[in-house]
Amino acid sequence: MTNRASAGRIAAHVVMIGLSFLAIFPVYWMIQTSFRAENEIFSGGLFPAVPTLKNYTDVLAAMPMLRILGNTVVMAGATTLAQVATGLLAAWALVRWRFPGGALARSLIALSWLVPFQVVMIPNYVLASKLGLLDTVTGLVIPNAAAAFSVLVLYNAMRGFPREVIEAARMDGAGNFRILAEVVLPNLSAPLASVSILCFISAWNDYFWPLLLIRRMENSVVQIGLQFFMTQEGNDWGPLMAAATLASLPILALYLVLQRQVVDSFMKSGIR
Amino acid sequence: MASIDIRSVHKLYGKTPAVRGLDLAVEDGSFLVILGPSGCGKSTLLRMIAGLEDISAGEIAIDGRVVNEVEPGRRGCAMVFQNYALYPHMTVAENIGYALKVAGVPKAERADRVGRVAAMLGLGDLLARKPSQLSGGQRQRVAMGRAMVREPGIFLFDEPLSNLDAKLRIQMRLEIKRLHRELKTTSVFVTHDQVEAMTLADTLVVMNQGVIEQVGTPAEVFRRPKSRFVANFLGSPPMNFLPAEIDRRGRAVLAGGHMPWPDLVFELAAETRIEVGLRPGDLTPVAGKAAEGAIPFEPDILEDLGSELHWHGTVGGSAVAVALPAATPIPAGPVGLKAPPSAVHAFLGDGRRAEPAAAPIPSPKPSGEAPWRATSLSYT
Repeated sequence: MTNRASAGRIAAHVVMIGLSFLAIFPVYWMIQTSFRAENEIFSGGLFPAVPTLKNYTDVLAAMPMLRILGNTVVMAGATTLAQVATGLLAAWALVRWRFPGGALARSLIALSWLVPFQVVMIPNYVLASKLGLLDTVTGLVIPNAAAAFSVLVLYNAMRGFPREVIEAARMDGAGNFRILAEVVLPNLSAPLASVSILCFISAWNDYFWPLLLIRRMENSVVQIGLQFFMTQEGNDWGPLMAAATLASLPILALYLVLQRQVVDSFMKSGIR
Repeated sequence: MASIDIRSVHKLYGKTPAVRGLDLAVEDGSFLVILGPSGCGKSTLLRMIAGLEDISAGEIAIDGRVVNEVEPGRRGCAMVFQNYALYPHMTVAENIGYALKVAGVPKAERADRVGRVAAMLGLGDLLARKPSQLSGGQRQRVAMGRAMVREPGIFLFDEPLSNLDAKLRIQMRLEIKRLHRELKTTSVFVTHDQVEAMTLADTLVVMNQGVIEQVGTPAEVFRRPKSRFVANFLGSPPMNFLPAEIDRRGRAVLAGGHMPWPDLVFELAAETRIEVGLRPGDLTPVAGKAAEGAIPFEPDILEDLGSELHWHGTVGGSAVAVALPAATPIPAGPVGLKAPPSAVHAFLGDGRRAEPAAAPIPSPKPSGEAPWRATSLSYT
């Protein structure tokens, strides 16, 4: 390797390390702050002088944190399932059949991705209120049951699936649902994993809609729970960081389990 | 086993026609090969028989039942695809047995039938493998097994050998031929490879631009091509074409005034422009340009293929190839080419075949009337 090439590699690595540091530092700061005593919160230093679990006990005493975490898992899980299911069916329809208006339908789905939440917020709220879904986890899930993102990612993954294999299944006598379930789906594990994890994270991080819909703490989700520590007198940083750490643990665990599939799905466009 | 009737079938993609009014009957138990260049509509026709492509007009009947609206899985056809189209996540056994599983065949019977087909194709040891762990030839065999296990009335092959290397292709070709001899299942085989077409077919169909150019046995199609397209498409090296003009007595005169076949007469008007077609294998070199009945040949390159020689050159400016047995001595010096009159094909300007007249050349009439037009001697 020439000197010039190795210098280029070193420069690239320096930039990547810098970017990684920028990404990781806030997370590190959240975690270490959650272990600091109240009087130590604003002191410098990379480590808490006397690590304490008091912030965690405060959080668990102040709110039904486990229940809130449970609500969030149910809400994010149900939203993910619904988005993957609707995404799969819509993508399958768009890939499998050529029908008049198919391209238009695809464009409209893509366009709906660009519509900001604030535009549909009020109509959704009115609808949820009329359906009696205010202050319920169901109300949090239903408006997000279909997402353009999952339709488009799964559409692209399915489009890369060899057409002849689908035709071979048709020749073998399989119906459309059977082909989707037994032939296409087992070969889409990578895109399905990536769509699932991204849907889950996005549902987990959703703030506005739960803020509008949820009234009581026991029906709340973790994002709204965090708000409890942000008062008019100032933020209660220790418990806030402890709650935020608790809130991010499930997501972190999920990513650790599925990270290979997620990276794979971005590296490969489909199956061979 | 089953027969297929194709009646006035059209296929349009938007406004572009892919198949234009096709009629064809495939007899029960026969092996029909559809041959043609890329884009001639042969695969489209096969896919219409399979039900994978809608029919724009006309009808297709299998065993007398019109199947235009019947789902592919219910037509009694099994298909072998060009790139195998195996289910990537299933083992060989699951791939072969999938159609039986869909049909609700009990597990034990399924395993039995899969085992039998696998044994027939030499796949017995590979049943637990995934397609990605197989070689090209093995994948092709699995694809065949998947088609065979259903015991269909019709096999449809869509260029199944084109992804294999030359040696394997010959082996699989023989295997397909052997299987057809044993099973006697009606088969439709689409290919652009003329050797496959010639060797496999009972009936050969040559297609071009969405229409059938010729239907017949391979020998008929090769020896009496109905059009210049068919003549040019079949044979390697392809047929040589020499421009010619019909003289007043109906004989073909080549460029340069050569008339190598004075006894061969066409019932065509004088001065009709035709093309004379000569297969490379029908030409024999003779020493000396001016040899009796020979066409002067300007040799250029000699290719030794081991089993035969290909001698390329020109005749009156047209490229000509001569195929010779390997041990043929090549004459030194000026060379002429000879071909028997029975080897001469003639094609009109629109590509149709022109047949020579069966009758011998009419001799001058006893009345003294010349066989040529009187005006040619008139000075008035």
